[in-house]
Amino acid sequence: MNSYKFRQVLKENIGINNPVFVQILGICSTLAVTNVLRNTVVMCAGLVFVTGLSNLTVSALRKYIPGRVRMMVETLIIASYVIIVDVVLKAYIPDISRQLGPYVGLIITNCIIMGRAEAFALSNPPALSLVDGLTSGLGYSYVLLIIAFLRELLGTGSIWGVRVLGEWWINWNIMIMAPGAFFMLALFIWVVKGNFMKEKKAQGSASTPAPQAASTGGKS
Amino acid sequence: MSDGRKANKLRRSLFTIFFMFAVTFVFISVLSLIHVLTRDVIRLNESLVVKRAVLYVAGLEVPQSGIEADALYQDRVREVKDDQGVVLYYEVLDAPGGSIQSYALPVPGAGLWGEIGSVVGVEKDLKTLTGIEFIKQNETPGLGGRITEGWFKEQFRGKRWPLEVVPEGDPTGDQEFQAITGATNTTNGVKGILNDRLATAEEAIKATE
Repeated sequence: MNSYKFRQVLKENIGINNPVFVQILGICSTLAVTNVLRNTVVMCAGLVFVTGLSNLTVSALRKYIPGRVRMMVETLIIASYVIIVDVVLKAYIPDISRQLGPYVGLIITNCIIMGRAEAFALSNPPALSLVDGLTSGLGYSYVLLIIAFLRELLGTGSIWGVRVLGEWWINWNIMIMAPGAFFMLALFIWVVKGNFMKEKKAQGSASTPAPQAASTGGKS
Repeated sequence: MSDGRKANKLRRSLFTIFFMFAVTFVFISVLSLIHVLTRDVIRLNESLVVKRAVLYVAGLEVPQSGIEADALYQDRVREVKDDQGVVLYYEVLDAPGGSIQSYALPVPGAGLWGEIGSVVGVEKDLKTLTGIEFIKQNETPGLGGRITEGWFKEQFRGKRWPLEVVPEGDPTGDQEFQAITGATNTTNGVKGILNDRLATAEEAIKATE
Protein backbone atom coordinates (compact mmCIF):
# COMPACT_ATOMS: atom_id res chain seq x y z
CA MET A 1 0.00 0.00 0.00
CA ASN A 2 2.65 2.39 1.10
CA SER A 3 5.11 1.67 -1.69
CA TYR A 4 2.21 1.93 -4.10
CA LYS A 5 1.63 5.49 -2.88
CA PHE A 6 5.29 6.36 -3.29
CA ARG A 7 5.29 5.03 -6.82
CA GLN A 8 2.12 6.93 -7.60
CA VAL A 9 3.71 10.18 -6.39
CA LEU A 10 6.80 9.50 -8.48
CA LYS A 11 4.75 8.78 -11.59
CA GLU A 12 2.67 11.91 -11.15
CA ASN A 13 5.59 14.26 -10.64
CA ILE A 14 7.88 12.86 -13.28
CA GLY A 15 5.27 12.22 -15.92
CA ILE A 16 1.52 12.66 -16.02
CA ASN A 17 1.42 15.66 -13.72
CA ASN A 18 4.89 17.10 -14.35
CA PRO A 19 5.23 20.57 -12.83
CA VAL A 20 6.84 22.08 -15.93
CA PHE A 21 5.23 20.61 -19.00
CA VAL A 22 1.81 19.71 -17.57
CA GLN A 23 1.20 22.30 -14.87
CA ILE A 24 3.39 24.94 -16.57
CA LEU A 25 4.86 26.04 -13.25
CA GLY A 26 8.37 27.37 -12.60
CA ILE A 27 8.61 28.83 -16.07
CA CYS A 28 10.50 31.94 -14.95
CA SER A 29 13.56 29.95 -14.00
CA THR A 30 13.07 27.57 -16.92
CA LEU A 31 13.61 30.52 -19.22
CA ALA A 32 16.32 32.21 -17.23
CA VAL A 33 18.85 29.60 -16.19
CA THR A 34 18.79 27.06 -19.01
CA ASN A 35 21.28 28.72 -21.35
CA VAL A 36 24.31 27.03 -19.81
CA LEU A 37 24.18 23.46 -18.50
CA ARG A 38 26.46 24.07 -15.51
CA ASN A 39 24.23 26.80 -14.06
CA THR A 40 21.15 24.68 -14.66
CA VAL A 41 22.59 21.77 -12.68
CA VAL A 42 23.31 24.01 -9.69
CA MET A 43 19.89 25.64 -9.92
CA CYS A 44 18.15 22.25 -10.10
CA ALA A 45 20.11 20.87 -7.16
CA GLY A 46 19.07 23.94 -5.16
CA LEU A 47 15.45 23.49 -6.14
CA VAL A 48 15.33 19.77 -5.31
CA PHE A 49 16.84 20.56 -1.91
CA VAL A 50 14.30 23.29 -1.21
CA THR A 51 11.19 21.45 -2.46
CA GLY A 52 12.16 18.29 -0.58
CA LEU A 53 12.96 19.86 2.76
CA SER A 54 10.22 22.48 2.72
CA ASN A 55 7.65 19.77 2.00
CA LEU A 56 9.08 17.66 4.82
CA THR A 57 9.02 20.56 7.27
CA VAL A 58 5.55 21.78 6.35
CA SER A 59 4.25 18.24 6.61
CA ALA A 60 5.89 17.67 10.01
CA LEU A 61 4.29 20.86 11.34
CA ARG A 62 0.96 20.43 9.54
CA LYS A 63 -1.02 19.42 12.64
CA TYR A 64 0.15 22.52 14.55
CA ILE A 65 0.12 25.25 11.92
CA PRO A 66 -2.98 27.42 12.50
CA GLY A 67 -4.98 27.58 9.27
CA ARG A 68 -5.04 31.36 9.16
CA VAL A 69 -1.27 31.80 9.11
CA ARG A 70 -0.31 28.70 7.16
CA MET A 71 0.88 30.68 4.12
CA MET A 72 3.11 32.82 6.33
CA VAL A 73 4.63 29.74 7.88
CA GLU A 74 5.14 28.08 4.49
CA THR A 75 6.84 31.19 3.12
CA LEU A 76 9.05 31.42 6.19
CA ILE A 77 10.11 27.79 5.85
CA ILE A 78 10.75 28.02 2.11
CA ALA A 79 12.63 31.31 2.46
CA SER A 80 14.88 29.84 5.12
CA TYR A 81 15.90 26.93 2.93
CA VAL A 82 16.46 29.23 -0.04
CA ILE A 83 18.74 31.44 2.07
CA ILE A 84 20.68 28.34 3.11
CA VAL A 85 21.19 27.41 -0.55
CA ASP A 86 22.23 30.97 -1.40
CA VAL A 87 24.73 31.20 1.45
CA VAL A 88 26.26 27.80 0.69
CA LEU A 89 26.69 28.70 -2.99
CA LYS A 90 28.26 32.06 -2.10
CA ALA A 91 30.68 30.40 0.27
CA TYR A 92 31.73 27.35 -1.72
CA ILE A 93 31.09 27.98 -5.43
CA PRO A 94 31.23 31.80 -5.69
CA ASP A 95 31.70 31.77 -9.48
CA ILE A 96 28.43 30.03 -10.18
CA SER A 97 26.72 32.02 -7.46
CA ARG A 98 27.74 35.21 -9.26
CA GLN A 99 26.49 33.90 -12.59
CA LEU A 100 23.13 32.80 -11.22
CA GLY A 101 22.79 36.20 -9.59
CA PRO A 102 19.27 36.88 -8.35
CA TYR A 103 17.83 33.57 -9.57
CA VAL A 104 18.87 31.64 -6.48
CA GLY A 105 16.94 34.05 -4.29
CA LEU A 106 14.05 33.77 -6.71
CA ILE A 107 13.72 30.03 -6.02
CA ILE A 108 11.37 31.23 -3.31
CA THR A 109 8.92 32.52 -5.89
CA ASN A 110 8.94 29.22 -7.76
CA CYS A 111 5.32 28.13 -7.73
CA ILE A 112 6.25 24.46 -7.61
CA ILE A 113 7.46 24.75 -4.02
CA MET A 114 4.49 26.64 -2.62
CA GLY A 115 2.19 24.54 -4.79
CA ARG A 116 3.48 21.26 -3.38
CA ALA A 117 3.44 22.60 0.18
CA GLU A 118 -0.17 23.72 -0.16
CA ALA A 119 -1.50 20.87 -2.24
CA PHE A 120 0.43 17.96 -0.83
CA ALA A 121 2.45 18.52 2.33
CA LEU A 122 -0.44 20.01 4.32
CA SER A 123 -2.46 16.83 3.93
CA ASN A 124 0.11 14.03 3.81
CA PRO A 125 2.62 12.46 6.25
CA PRO A 126 6.24 13.68 6.28
CA ALA A 127 7.97 10.77 4.52
CA LEU A 128 5.55 10.80 1.61
CA SER A 129 5.77 14.61 1.43
CA LEU A 130 9.54 14.46 1.30
CA VAL A 131 9.33 12.04 -1.61
CA ASP A 132 6.74 14.23 -3.29
CA GLY A 133 8.98 17.29 -2.90
CA LEU A 134 12.06 15.52 -4.18
CA THR A 135 10.28 13.98 -7.17
CA SER A 136 8.62 17.31 -8.04
CA GLY A 137 12.08 18.80 -8.01
CA LEU A 138 13.36 15.99 -10.21
CA GLY A 139 10.42 16.33 -12.59
CA TYR A 140 11.38 19.99 -12.94
CA SER A 141 15.08 19.27 -13.16
CA TYR A 142 15.14 16.74 -15.95
CA VAL A 143 13.03 18.97 -18.18
CA LEU A 144 15.37 21.90 -17.53
CA LEU A 145 18.45 19.79 -18.10
CA ILE A 146 17.18 18.57 -21.47
CA ILE A 147 16.35 22.13 -22.50
CA ALA A 148 19.69 23.44 -21.23
CA PHE A 149 21.57 20.66 -23.03
CA LEU A 150 19.97 21.56 -26.34
CA ARG A 151 20.27 25.31 -25.83
CA GLU A 152 23.94 25.20 -24.90
CA LEU A 153 24.69 22.82 -27.76
CA LEU A 154 22.88 24.86 -30.42
CA GLY A 155 23.69 28.26 -28.95
CA THR A 156 27.41 27.88 -28.27
CA GLY A 157 28.39 24.57 -29.88
CA SER A 158 29.60 23.34 -26.49
CA ILE A 159 28.48 21.08 -23.68
CA TRP A 160 29.50 21.98 -20.13
CA GLY A 161 31.69 24.72 -21.59
CA VAL A 162 33.65 22.23 -23.74
CA ARG A 163 33.39 22.71 -27.49
CA VAL A 164 31.90 19.57 -29.05
CA LEU A 165 30.78 20.81 -32.44
CA GLY A 166 33.53 21.69 -34.90
CA GLU A 167 34.47 25.09 -36.25
CA TRP A 168 31.90 24.63 -39.03
CA TRP A 169 29.09 25.09 -36.54
CA ILE A 170 27.56 28.55 -36.54
CA ASN A 171 26.12 29.42 -33.15
CA TRP A 172 22.40 30.06 -32.96
CA ASN A 173 22.47 33.21 -30.88
CA ILE A 174 18.73 33.10 -30.33
CA MET A 175 19.14 29.90 -28.32
CA ILE A 176 21.12 31.58 -25.53
CA MET A 177 18.66 34.42 -25.19
CA ALA A 178 15.37 34.04 -23.33
CA PRO A 179 13.25 33.63 -26.50
CA GLY A 180 15.30 30.52 -27.30
CA ALA A 181 13.98 28.96 -24.12
CA PHE A 182 10.41 29.70 -25.18
CA PHE A 183 10.96 27.90 -28.46
CA MET A 184 12.70 24.97 -26.79
CA LEU A 185 10.07 24.62 -24.09
CA ALA A 186 7.25 24.79 -26.62
CA LEU A 187 8.92 22.16 -28.81
CA PHE A 188 9.54 19.99 -25.77
CA ILE A 189 5.90 20.16 -24.66
CA TRP A 190 4.78 19.48 -28.21
CA VAL A 191 6.98 16.40 -28.56
CA VAL A 192 6.11 15.01 -25.13
CA LYS A 193 2.37 15.59 -25.38
CA GLY A 194 2.21 14.44 -28.98
CA ASN A 195 4.15 11.22 -28.51
CA PHE A 196 3.99 10.05 -24.92
CA MET A 197 0.91 11.48 -23.30
CA LYS A 198 -1.82 10.73 -25.83
CA GLU A 199 -2.83 7.27 -24.65
CA LYS A 200 -2.54 8.10 -21.00
CA LYS A 201 -4.82 11.04 -21.52
CA ALA A 202 -7.46 8.89 -23.19
CA GLN A 203 -7.25 6.30 -20.42
CA GLY A 204 -7.08 8.95 -17.75
CA SER A 205 -10.34 10.60 -18.66
CA ALA A 206 -12.09 7.24 -18.74
CA SER A 207 -10.89 5.38 -15.66
CA THR A 208 -8.77 7.32 -13.17
CA PRO A 209 -10.07 10.44 -11.48
CA ALA A 210 -8.45 13.75 -12.34
CA PRO A 211 -5.16 14.28 -10.48
CA GLN A 212 -5.72 16.14 -7.22
CA ALA A 213 -2.67 18.24 -7.88
CA ALA A 214 -1.71 21.80 -7.38
CA SER A 215 -3.24 24.71 -9.10
CA THR A 216 -1.79 27.76 -7.47
CA GLY A 217 -2.75 31.09 -8.90
CA GLY A 218 0.37 32.81 -10.23
CA LYS A 219 2.81 31.16 -12.59
CA SER A 220 6.24 32.41 -11.85
CA MET B 1 -21.80 29.84 26.38
CA SER B 2 -20.87 32.99 24.51
CA ASP B 3 -18.15 33.68 27.12
CA GLY B 4 -16.70 30.24 26.58
CA ARG B 5 -16.57 30.73 22.84
CA LYS B 6 -14.87 34.12 23.28
CA ALA B 7 -12.25 32.61 25.58
CA ASN B 8 -11.71 29.86 23.08
CA LYS B 9 -11.22 32.34 20.27
CA LEU B 10 -8.78 34.34 22.36
CA ARG B 11 -6.83 31.21 23.20
CA ARG B 12 -6.62 30.31 19.52
CA SER B 13 -5.41 33.79 18.57
CA LEU B 14 -2.78 33.73 21.28
CA PHE B 15 -1.65 30.31 20.11
CA THR B 16 -1.38 31.61 16.55
CA ILE B 17 0.80 34.50 17.64
CA PHE B 18 2.91 32.31 19.89
CA PHE B 19 3.30 29.74 17.13
CA MET B 20 4.45 32.35 14.62
CA PHE B 21 6.97 33.73 17.11
CA ALA B 22 8.30 30.29 17.93
CA VAL B 23 8.66 29.16 14.32
CA THR B 24 10.30 32.43 13.31
CA PHE B 25 12.66 32.26 16.26
CA VAL B 26 13.77 28.73 15.43
CA PHE B 27 14.36 29.41 11.75
CA ILE B 28 16.11 32.73 12.29
CA SER B 29 18.39 31.10 14.85
CA VAL B 30 19.39 28.38 12.42
CA LEU B 31 20.00 30.92 9.65
CA SER B 32 22.05 33.16 11.94
CA LEU B 33 24.21 30.21 12.89
CA ILE B 34 24.84 29.36 9.23
CA HIS B 35 25.54 33.01 8.50
CA VAL B 36 28.12 33.24 11.27
CA LEU B 37 29.78 30.01 10.15
CA THR B 38 30.15 31.09 6.51
CA ARG B 39 30.63 34.85 6.99
CA ASP B 40 34.41 34.87 6.77
CA VAL B 41 34.56 32.61 3.71
CA ILE B 42 32.01 34.75 1.87
CA ARG B 43 33.80 37.99 2.75
CA LEU B 44 37.09 36.52 1.55
CA ASN B 45 35.45 35.35 -1.70
CA GLU B 46 34.02 38.79 -2.34
CA SER B 47 37.25 40.66 -1.69
CA LEU B 48 39.14 38.12 -3.78
CA VAL B 49 37.13 38.98 -6.89
CA VAL B 50 38.74 42.43 -6.98
CA LYS B 51 42.15 41.26 -5.76
CA ARG B 52 42.39 38.54 -8.39
CA ALA B 53 41.34 41.09 -11.03
CA VAL B 54 44.14 43.48 -10.02
CA LEU B 55 46.74 40.70 -10.15
CA TYR B 56 45.39 39.44 -13.48
CA VAL B 57 45.46 42.81 -15.25
CA ALA B 58 49.00 43.42 -13.99
CA GLY B 59 50.01 40.27 -15.89
CA LEU B 60 50.91 38.34 -12.75
CA GLU B 61 50.25 34.62 -12.40
CA VAL B 62 47.12 34.40 -10.21
CA PRO B 63 47.26 31.42 -7.83
CA GLN B 64 44.24 29.09 -7.74
CA SER B 65 44.01 29.06 -3.96
CA GLY B 66 42.34 32.04 -2.36
CA ILE B 67 44.83 32.29 0.48
CA GLU B 68 47.83 32.33 -1.87
CA ALA B 69 46.18 34.91 -4.12
CA ASP B 70 45.52 37.07 -1.07
CA ALA B 71 49.16 36.73 0.05
CA LEU B 72 50.48 37.70 -3.39
CA TYR B 73 48.15 40.69 -3.39
CA GLN B 74 49.41 41.80 0.02
CA ASP B 75 53.01 41.54 -1.22
CA ARG B 76 52.72 43.19 -4.60
CA VAL B 77 49.81 45.65 -4.51
CA ARG B 78 49.39 48.94 -2.67
CA GLU B 79 45.94 50.51 -2.48
CA VAL B 80 45.69 54.29 -2.87
CA LYS B 81 42.55 55.59 -1.21
CA ASP B 82 40.81 58.96 -0.95
CA ASP B 83 39.65 60.62 2.30
CA GLN B 84 36.54 58.45 2.48
CA GLY B 85 38.53 55.25 2.14
CA VAL B 86 37.38 54.54 -1.42
CA VAL B 87 40.12 52.94 -3.50
CA LEU B 88 41.17 55.32 -6.30
CA TYR B 89 43.76 53.08 -7.89
CA TYR B 90 46.21 50.28 -7.17
CA GLU B 91 49.98 50.44 -7.41
CA VAL B 92 51.50 47.17 -8.57
CA LEU B 93 55.07 46.72 -7.29
CA ASP B 94 57.85 44.88 -9.12
CA ALA B 95 58.79 43.06 -5.90
CA PRO B 96 57.49 42.97 -2.32
CA GLY B 97 58.21 46.46 -0.97
CA GLY B 98 59.75 47.45 -4.33
CA SER B 99 59.00 50.29 -6.71
CA ILE B 100 55.96 50.83 -8.89
CA GLN B 101 55.79 48.57 -11.95
CA SER B 102 52.34 49.51 -13.25
CA TYR B 103 48.95 50.76 -12.14
CA ALA B 104 45.50 49.18 -11.97
CA LEU B 105 42.35 51.28 -11.86
CA PRO B 106 38.73 50.44 -11.10
CA VAL B 107 36.82 51.82 -14.10
CA PRO B 108 33.01 51.80 -14.36
CA GLY B 109 31.33 51.55 -17.74
CA ALA B 110 27.94 51.19 -19.39
CA GLY B 111 26.81 47.95 -20.97
CA LEU B 112 23.62 46.95 -22.72
CA TRP B 113 21.63 45.86 -19.64
CA GLY B 114 23.54 47.51 -16.85
CA GLU B 115 26.83 48.64 -15.48
CA ILE B 116 30.05 46.96 -16.54
CA GLY B 117 32.54 47.14 -13.70
CA SER B 118 36.12 46.68 -14.78
CA VAL B 119 39.68 46.84 -13.53
CA VAL B 120 42.12 48.20 -16.12
CA GLY B 121 45.88 47.88 -15.84
CA VAL B 122 48.17 50.53 -17.40
CA GLU B 123 51.91 51.00 -17.65
CA LYS B 124 53.54 54.00 -15.98
CA ASP B 125 53.08 56.00 -19.21
CA LEU B 126 49.30 55.70 -18.54
CA LYS B 127 48.82 54.87 -22.24
CA THR B 128 49.85 51.24 -22.66
CA LEU B 129 47.37 48.70 -21.30
CA THR B 130 48.68 45.78 -19.27
CA GLY B 131 45.29 44.06 -19.20
CA ILE B 132 41.59 44.33 -18.41
CA GLU B 133 39.24 42.30 -16.24
CA PHE B 134 35.47 42.61 -15.86
CA ILE B 135 34.34 42.18 -12.28
CA LYS B 136 30.70 43.03 -12.73
CA GLN B 137 28.49 42.64 -15.79
CA ASN B 138 24.93 41.70 -16.71
CA GLU B 139 25.43 41.35 -20.45
CA THR B 140 23.45 38.80 -22.46
CA PRO B 141 24.93 35.37 -21.72
CA GLY B 142 26.61 33.98 -24.83
CA LEU B 143 26.68 37.36 -26.57
CA GLY B 144 27.85 40.36 -24.58
CA GLY B 145 28.61 37.98 -21.73
CA ARG B 146 31.55 36.74 -23.81
CA ILE B 147 33.59 39.76 -22.65
CA THR B 148 34.64 37.53 -19.75
CA GLU B 149 36.20 34.97 -22.12
CA GLY B 150 39.98 34.72 -22.21
CA TRP B 151 40.55 35.56 -25.90
CA PHE B 152 38.67 38.85 -25.53
CA LYS B 153 40.45 40.04 -22.39
CA GLU B 154 43.91 38.88 -23.43
CA GLN B 155 43.87 40.88 -26.67
CA PHE B 156 44.19 44.16 -24.74
CA ARG B 157 47.60 43.47 -23.27
CA GLY B 158 50.16 45.85 -24.77
CA LYS B 159 47.57 47.90 -26.68
CA ARG B 160 47.68 51.71 -26.49
CA TRP B 161 44.42 53.61 -25.98
CA PRO B 162 42.44 55.27 -27.61
CA LEU B 163 41.34 52.13 -29.41
CA GLU B 164 39.31 51.46 -32.53
CA VAL B 165 37.08 48.42 -33.09
CA VAL B 166 37.58 45.80 -35.82
CA PRO B 167 35.25 42.84 -36.56
CA GLU B 168 35.68 39.64 -34.57
CA GLY B 169 38.41 37.43 -36.01
CA ASP B 170 40.20 40.22 -37.91
CA PRO B 171 43.86 41.01 -37.23
CA THR B 172 44.44 44.02 -34.97
CA GLY B 173 47.02 46.78 -34.80
CA ASP B 174 48.29 48.14 -31.50
CA GLN B 175 45.43 50.67 -31.34
CA GLU B 176 42.63 48.26 -32.30
CA PHE B 177 40.67 45.47 -30.66
CA GLN B 178 38.27 42.80 -31.92
CA ALA B 179 34.55 43.32 -31.38
CA ILE B 180 32.17 40.60 -30.25
CA THR B 181 29.82 39.60 -33.06
CA GLY B 182 26.20 40.21 -32.10
CA ALA B 183 27.11 42.41 -29.14
CA THR B 184 27.68 45.86 -30.59
CA ASN B 185 26.44 47.73 -27.53
CA THR B 186 28.62 45.75 -25.18
CA THR B 187 31.64 46.25 -27.44
CA ASN B 188 30.96 49.98 -27.45
CA GLY B 189 30.68 49.88 -23.66
CA VAL B 190 34.16 48.37 -23.46
CA LYS B 191 35.43 50.93 -25.94
CA GLY B 192 33.94 53.67 -23.75
CA ILE B 193 35.67 52.26 -20.69
CA LEU B 194 39.05 52.42 -22.41
CA ASN B 195 38.71 55.63 -24.40
CA ASP B 196 36.68 57.87 -22.08
CA ARG B 197 36.32 56.52 -18.57
CA LEU B 198 39.94 55.43 -18.22
CA ALA B 199 41.17 58.97 -18.87
CA THR B 200 38.93 60.24 -16.07
CA ALA B 201 40.16 57.56 -13.71
CA GLU B 202 43.78 58.37 -14.51
CA GLU B 203 43.26 61.93 -13.28
CA ALA B 204 43.57 60.48 -9.78
CA ILE B 205 47.06 59.17 -10.51
CA LYS B 206 48.17 62.46 -12.04
CA ALA B 207 46.72 64.39 -9.10
CA THR B 208 48.72 62.50 -6.50
CA GLU B 209 52.01 62.66 -8.36
